[in-house]
Amino acid sequence: MIRPAVTLAFIALAILAAAAGCTDTEPERTVLTVIPAGSLLHPLEEIEAAFENQHPDIDVRIEGHGSIQAVRQVTDLRRDIDVVAVADASLIPDMMYIPMTEGGENYTDWYAPFAGNEIVIAYTDRSTGAEEITSENWYRVLARPDVRVGFSNPMLDACGYRALMVTALAEEHYGEPGLFETIIGNAFDPPLTPTHADGITTITLPERIRPADEKVVIRDGSIYLLSLLDAGGIDYAFEYRSVAEEHGLRWIDLPPEINLGSAELADDYQKVHVTLGFQRFRSIGSERIGQPIVYAITMPRNAPYPDEARMFVDFVLTAFHERRAGWPTPIE
Amino acid sequence: MIPVRRLPPTLFAVMLLGAVALACGCLGTAEGADAPDWNLTLAGDQETVLTFAEIRALPAVEGYGYSVSTVGIKYGPNTYRGVLLADLVEMAGGAGAEDLIYVSAEDGYLWVFDLPQLQGEEFFTFDENLREIPAPPLKVILAYDQDGEPLAYEEGGPLRLVVIAETPDVITEGSSWVKWVDRIEVHRR
Repeated sequence: MIRPAVTLAFIALAILAAAAGCTDTEPERTVLTVIPAGSLLHPLEEIEAAFENQHPDIDVRIEGHGSIQAVRQVTDLRRDIDVVAVADASLIPDMMYIPMTEGGENYTDWYAPFAGNEIVIAYTDRSTGAEEITSENWYRVLARPDVRVGFSNPMLDACGYRALMVTALAEEHYGEPGLFETIIGNAFDPPLTPTHADGITTITLPERIRPADEKVVIRDGSIYLLSLLDAGGIDYAFEYRSVAEEHGLRWIDLPPEINLGSAELADDYQKVHVTLGFQRFRSIGSERIGQPIVYAITMPRNAPYPDEARMFVDFVLTAFHERRAGWPTPIE
Repeated sequence: MIPVRRLPPTLFAVMLLGAVALACGCLGTAEGADAPDWNLTLAGDQETVLTFAEIRALPAVEGYGYSVSTVGIKYGPNTYRGVLLADLVEMAGGAGAEDLIYVSAEDGYLWVFDLPQLQGEEFFTFDENLREIPAPPLKVILAYDQDGEPLAYEEGGPLRLVVIAETPDVITEGSSWVKWVDRIEVHRR
């Protein structure tokens, strides 16, 4: 008969062995940490499954963040990240072409642009005005006082400040002075009013961006707007086209002059600036300038598994060669 | 030759269990015995620096915190203990209706609160399925304990802004949950 003390000792040894990983007979998989922007989560999760199928020895771990937060995981927070993919290509040179240590090498010196997107007006069959809204009259529908419009917080989400840029560009494009205030600005107290100087339109946000009435709704990220659209809490949301498509929503395509989707119109987009209410991160300023929406991917120089990360980046670039429903659009 | 005495089996087993517990990190140091070297600057009408021990000595509140990121990743629920942000702002000279509270952190992150939020109002709240629910009573605290243990650095410790509720089923937006807080400023307007 085994004495209780001996049994206890065996249990303790087993726990110790498990804690030390001694009983793990499975070969260790290389864990690749990939940080994509929120609007890339769905395509990257699909790519992850296909990549792991081809490379069973690699475990890709996807952790979504807003684009700036995605970069900060590498820079400010100094985490060991293998791949970063953002919804605004300019963030990589702005935030990562800086030395990792004083006088040392940069976090990265390259990025690969791989997809584009555009802002659309997403809605459902139940949205007020759903039967009449078109690509021609959308701004008149959104301007109606009984129509509730949502966008994500410009402090937190690139899609949020892009919504403001699109509305300001629309005012110019349609020759409708005051359109920005009617759709968005007048919902704030004091109203948000664009200023114009030297051919540049600037929207300056307060520190706390909180609408004073129910005409405009702001949430931290686009997923909360989708849920509000579904629940009838808002009628229309400024979203990326791929997100509207992925979630089976109806949407209105906007003209290329205002949808931030055309590389050829970059000069026109640059005429709209958004100044955020405060500098949320010490590592990036609070001025956002209109530009075409371009997704980009890179590997931090200190990626723990650079060979596997390179393979994954190549896999992503190849996957984005063809147009897929619910994914950002491939670019040349 | 030194005589080797056999340990009684029970004593041996207990010692072994102790070693296992140590190896697994189960035997932490006693709470408060190893207070982190961390100061909090309160900047209002005057500037005050509080040590971690001084913050722990202030009146504390407890509740459940459960946050969600901008892309929908949920963190929690956990219990938190800490000091009301409103009490700290009071120590800095208080805030008027139009004033703003800047809460910033070691890593360069800043978030701005207004007076209603300081009082736990005007936050958006969600259920487990991330559907919006009417906001129950909330408190904004500077937390130093999570689930009865000192808040770990990787969780934003030793001091993190946390929005707490009375029940564990209330999710709040994580953007205001500032990690590694080291400065609270009252901006007069």
